[in-house]
Amino acid sequence: MMRETRIRRLPMALSALVALALAVLPLPAVLDAFRPDFLVLVVFYWCIESPRAGGLSLAFFSGLALDVIHGVVLGQHALALTLMGAWATNLRLRIRVFSMLSQCLVVFALLTGYQFILFWVDGATGNPVTTFFRWLAPFIGALLWPVLLGVMGKVHER
Amino acid sequence: MVAFRSTDASGRTTGLLFRCVLFCLLALALIIVDKRYDHLGKIRRLLSVVAYPVQVAVASPFEGWNWFRDSVTTRDALRSDKAKLEAELRVAQFRLQRYEALEAETQRLRALRDNTAGSTDRFVVGDVMNVDLDAFRERVLVDKGAGDGIYVGQAVLDSGGVFGQVARVGQLTSEVILVSDAAHAIPVQINRNGLRTVAVGTGDTNRLKLPYLPTSADVVAGDLLVTSGLGGGFPAGYPVGTVAEVKRDPAQSLADVDVKPAAALDRSKELLFVWLKPQAAELQPPPKPAPVPKK
Repeated sequence: MMRETRIRRLPMALSALVALALAVLPLPAVLDAFRPDFLVLVVFYWCIESPRAGGLSLAFFSGLALDVIHGVVLGQHALALTLMGAWATNLRLRIRVFSMLSQCLVVFALLTGYQFILFWVDGATGNPVTTFFRWLAPFIGALLWPVLLGVMGKVHER
Repeated sequence: MVAFRSTDASGRTTGLLFRCVLFCLLALALIIVDKRYDHLGKIRRLLSVVAYPVQVAVASPFEGWNWFRDSVTTRDALRSDKAKLEAELRVAQFRLQRYEALEAETQRLRALRDNTAGSTDRFVVGDVMNVDLDAFRERVLVDKGAGDGIYVGQAVLDSGGVFGQVARVGQLTSEVILVSDAAHAIPVQINRNGLRTVAVGTGDTNRLKLPYLPTSADVVAGDLLVTSGLGGGFPAGYPVGTVAEVKRDPAQSLADVDVKPAAALDRSKELLFVWLKPQAAELQPPPKPAPVPKK
């Protein structure tokens, strides 16, 4: 058991770091609004794939990292990621047997929930971002889910 | 973390619920403490140091490419650059000839009015780091932080005009909020007639607005807006933008004025952090020239 979790920790941390780097990678201003939440997808993947290796802790600390990097109120992304990570963990057994389309829909729901919590905290702390573009990220993230599964599957097998 | 992990099959769901509630409460507590009180500044500063390597790692390939491109420029390109810069310098020096005298005169006049508000004291040059902060907020990360004496609310300029102000300070980096951010407002006056108002950002990098001018206000397209120095945050007399369009709807009491920012908000790589002179009535010598930006 112990060995198993130890083996899983390294790819977990590495993939989270890569996703974090992708979150701050400079993009042209036009493409910026279309940037999917890579780190969120990676967290969902680990929550579904190996929840016992501490997917929820990963969710919380990844959220904290996003808070610091985006320079928003501390705890915002942490809250959203923890809640949605817990939901993903709860759904994991069902998600695994879903068809790819259904999986994407579930991920879309999770990402929309995540975005909604961010939206809500933004509003509650007094700096709302009401542009319609922020609801694009869940859509693109859901489309990216099969790609992520493929890539992460490769990483995971090693 | 190990203590919270329940490994047996029966206890797993409760473990999940327990951890979820725990982390959520922690996150909520963080949000409230960060929003309501000012205790988290140090923690955030520390965390920003932890985030620094990631940001540097992301920015470095772009820096490396720029360096490579710079180092393989041809001799001809360098020569033409040099000629251009020399021409620019000539013009700038010509304009500067009367600057010292004018500056001294301004200081004298200001001293007469017991008002030295809004004159600048010294500069520090910071480089914009090549990372994206938030797609929906107009902010940039700069490689100067609390270690260099940067403080929250400090005015930031670029070669064209007012760029923004410091929103958050880390140990090694600081976040600058652009004048075009939807949450930013800056006191300005029209250079032509001294009319004072406030320019607010729109969230669009190439546009500011003057939402508080009545339809009858004397403002026309092409007017230069400069900082008024009121409010004490910004030095007075620096260009903020030019009026691009004035829409007057007789049914409305306020005019709809669009402004094009003077600073190259989406292109500037080097920013000036400005220290304001402390309020003092006595005569001050003209400020020292800005320090040469270090490479």
